[in-house]
Amino acid sequence: MNKRKTVFIEGPITPSFIANSIEKHQTKTTIGAHDIFLGQVRADKIEGKIVQAIDYSAYTEMAEGKFHEIREATFSKYDLTCMHIYHSLGKVKAGEICLFVFVSAPHRKVAFEALEFLVEEIKKEVPVFGKEVFEDETHVWKVNKV
Amino acid sequence: MELKVLYFGMIAEVTGCNEEIILLESNSNVDQLENLLKDKYQNLQHLSFKVAIDKEISANDTLLNPNNEIALLPPFSGG
Repeated sequence: MNKRKTVFIEGPITPSFIANSIEKHQTKTTIGAHDIFLGQVRADKIEGKIVQAIDYSAYTEMAEGKFHEIREATFSKYDLTCMHIYHSLGKVKAGEICLFVFVSAPHRKVAFEALEFLVEEIKKEVPVFGKEVFEDETHVWKVNKV
Repeated sequence: MELKVLYFGMIAEVTGCNEEIILLESNSNVDQLENLLKDKYQNLQHLSFKVAIDKEISANDTLLNPNNEIALLPPFSGG
C-alpha cells in the first residue's frame, strides 16, 4: 500500500470507470462498507455567463507527492481496507465527474469519517488549478472555498 | 545566482510563460524573489499566491539556492 499510485486521469472520470472500480472490490470480502465521493463540474453562472467546462492543470510532481502524503495520513488515522483517489486533468464539461474518492473499511463509520477527511485534505493541500471556461471561450480561475 | 522558477494557473497567464530563469543575488530569500517578480510583472501584485520550494510551501524568509525548484502557486481549486 506504500507504493505511489496514479491519481491523474486525462479528461472526465466516466461512470463505467467508477462501476469497474466497485466491481473489482467484490473479491475483497473483509470489506463491509464503501463510501464514495464524486466531484461534479457545476454550470455556475458568473457575471451573466455560464460555465461550460473546467480545464484542470496541476503542478503534477508536487500534487502526486501530496496525494501520497494524504493517503499515508489517512491510512494511519483510520482503519481502512483500501482507498482510491482519481482526479481529472484537462477539460471536464459541466455535469461530468472530475474527482472520484473511494474508501473501503470493515464497518461504515470509519468509511464516512475517512472520506470526509480525505476530500477536505485534497481540496486544501493539492496544487490543482481549475480554469472555468465559458461558452464564448473566455474564462475565470476557480478558487476553492475553505 | 540563477534560479529556475515555475508558474501555474493564473500566475502563468500573468507571466506569459510556464517557467523561466531568474537572476538574483546569492543568499536571497523568498521575499526578495517575490519583490523582483512583482516588479517585473506588475499584475502579480494583485494576485494571491504561495511559493513552493522543492515542492513544499515555504516561508518568506527561507533562503534560496540555485538547486531549488521554485514554483509560484495560485490558490488551489482541485476537486
